[in-house]
Amino acid sequence: MLVAEVEGLSKRYGTVQALDRVDVAIEPGCTGLVGSNGAGKSTLIKLLLGLLVPDQGRASVLGHDVATDPLAVRGRVGYLPEGACLPGDVTAADFVAFMAQLGGLPPRPARERAAEVCYQVGLDEERYRAVGGFSTGMQQRVKLAVALVHDPAFLLLDEPTDGMDPQGREDMLDLIARIRGELGIDVLVSTHLLGDVERVCDRVVMVHGGHVLAQGSIAEIAGTTEPGFGIRLGDNGPEVLAALRAAGLEARPSGEELLVQGPSDLIRDVAAQRGWPLRRLVPRAPSLEETFLRLQAAQGGSPVPVARQPDTPEAAWGVRR
Amino acid sequence: MTELSSPAGTIYDRGYRHYEGPREGRGRRVRAIAVAGVRRVLGLKRNWKTKVVPFGLLVLAFGPVFAFIGARVLVGEAVGEFLGYGRYLRVVAALLLLFAATAGPELLCPDRRQNVLALIFTRPVTRSDYLLAKLAALLAVVGLIALVPLVVLFVGNTLTADSAATYLRQNLDDLGRILIAGSVLTVFYSVVALAAASLTDRRAVATAGLLGVFLGTTALANILFFTASFEGRRWVAFLSLAGLPGRFVDWLFGVPYDPGTLADQAGFTGPAYLVATGVVTAAAAAVLIWRVLRLRA
Repeated sequence: MLVAEVEGLSKRYGTVQALDRVDVAIEPGCTGLVGSNGAGKSTLIKLLLGLLVPDQGRASVLGHDVATDPLAVRGRVGYLPEGACLPGDVTAADFVAFMAQLGGLPPRPARERAAEVCYQVGLDEERYRAVGGFSTGMQQRVKLAVALVHDPAFLLLDEPTDGMDPQGREDMLDLIARIRGELGIDVLVSTHLLGDVERVCDRVVMVHGGHVLAQGSIAEIAGTTEPGFGIRLGDNGPEVLAALRAAGLEARPSGEELLVQGPSDLIRDVAAQRGWPLRRLVPRAPSLEETFLRLQAAQGGSPVPVARQPDTPEAAWGVRR
Repeated sequence: MTELSSPAGTIYDRGYRHYEGPREGRGRRVRAIAVAGVRRVLGLKRNWKTKVVPFGLLVLAFGPVFAFIGARVLVGEAVGEFLGYGRYLRVVAALLLLFAATAGPELLCPDRRQNVLALIFTRPVTRSDYLLAKLAALLAVVGLIALVPLVVLFVGNTLTADSAATYLRQNLDDLGRILIAGSVLTVFYSVVALAAASLTDRRAVATAGLLGVFLGTTALANILFFTASFEGRRWVAFLSLAGLPGRFVDWLFGVPYDPGTLADQAGFTGPAYLVATGVVTAAAAAVLIWRVLRLRA
C-alpha cells in the first residue's frame, strides 16, 4: 500500500505555477523529495497535509483523501516545518506535551510521552529550558520531537537539517535513519541537499519548476543498479587509472580516491597482478546530482544545481550507508 | 558470601515505543489550547515579569473585596456598606479594559508572530477549534475579574450579615444583576480585545490600538457633544465604546449617571446601551471570525 499518492495535482500562486499536474507515489520507507529552492517541495508537502487547497488533482495520505478528510490525515502524520516556528518563552517539555495533546493524547500520557520523545531526539535536561535560548540544532530537535510525539505513521520533514552545523547535521540524519530503521515510521524528507538524501533515503522524488523530473529508488534514478567503489590503489596515478580501464572498469579520479564502476573482484585482480597495495575499497552510490542536472537540462530549463553537503571529499558521489 | 537470589535492580528500556493508549477527540484539543491560553495570559510557567500585570490586576480586583469582608468579619455590620455592586463594577470595568487589552493580544499575537500556527494547524485542529479555544481562555480569565470578585462580595455580605437568610432573601436580585452585568462585561471586553489582536501580530500595537480606540472614542464623543451643535447630537453617546457596557451596568443596578456628564444629558436608558454593546460585540466578533478563519499555517 502506498503511503501517499498524488494525481494530477496543480497549485498556482498568482502568476507562479508552483506545481503543474504532478503525479507522485510515496512508497513505504524513507523517501527524499529533492529540488532546488522554489521547485515546489514545500507546496507539495502542504498539499499533502491539507494546509493548501489544490487548483486541480487529488492527493491521499495513508488511505485518507486529503480534500475530504484532512483532519484524519493530520492525526496520523507528523510534520517538521521549515524555518522558525517555536514559541520562545515556553520550555521544550511543555510545548511538546501541548502538541501531544493536540494529537489527541490525554494530559498525563502527553507529558510522559513528551519526556520520552525529547530524550529520544537528544533533549534530556535541556527540555526544561525555554526554547528561545536553544541553538538552531536544538530547535530542530524540538521540532522533530513535536513531529513524533503523537506517534504518527508518516513523517513529513521539510528541510530538517536547514541551518545546522556539520555535527548537528550528522546527528539529525542519524535520528532520521533511526526513525525509519528502528521505529518503522515512513518518512518523506524534503531537502535541497542531495547528500542528505543519499545518506538516509532509499527512494527519491526529484522536482523542478513544479514538475516531477523522476521518482523511484536512488539506484534506479541514477541510471544504474551496479554498485560502484571509491578506491585507493597504489598512488592512484595515471598508470593505475589506465590499468583499471584496461581491465574493463569505468574509473575516474575524485578527490583523494578513484571512483570505479564494476565488480570488486576485478579491482582486486588488478591490484594483485600489478602488486599495488589496495588501501581503500568503499562502496559508493552513483551521483544523484549528475542525474538531477541531466534531467533538468533534458526538461528544457537551464540546470539549477541543488546543494551538496559541504566539506565532504566525495563531492560528486554520495556515500550509501 | 551471600548469593543473590533476585535481581538487585531493574534496567528500563528507554527506547522509543509506539503509543497505544487512549486518544481523545476534538474537545481535548480545544481544551488543551484553552488551558495553554489561560496559563499564558496569567504568566504561569513563564518568568516573573509576565505575571506582574495579570496578578497586579487580580490583586486590584479582589483586594478591596477581601479587605472589606475581613473587616466585616472582625467588626460586623458596623463597617457599613461597601461601594455597592454597581459602583464596584465601574471600577472593575476599568480594570477589565486594561486586562483584556493585554490578555487578548497575548493570546493571539505570539502564535502568528512566532509562526507557531505552522505546527498547531498540522494537527487535527480547525480554525474554528482554535478560535473557540482562544475565546474560551479569554472569557475565563476576564470572567475571573468581572464576575468572581462580585460573587465573593455577595457571599461575604451574606455570611457576615446579622441574618444571612434575611440578607439573601432581600438581595437575591443583586446576585442576578451581578451575573448579568459581569457576563455582559466579560463577553464585550473579551470579543473586542481578541478582534483587535487578530488585526496585528504585534502585541504592543494591539494593546495600544485597543486602548487608543476606547479612550479616543470617549474623548471624541465628549468633544462632539459638548462643543458642537447639530441635530441628533445626543446619539454621539454611542460613539464612546468604553461607556457602553458601563452605562448599562449603572442602569441595571440603579446607579444614577453622574450629573452633567454625556450619559446624563444624552437621555438614553440602559437597554439602549445594551443594544449598542451587542452591536459592537457582534461587529467585533465578525472581524475576529473573518480574521481567524483566514489564518495561514
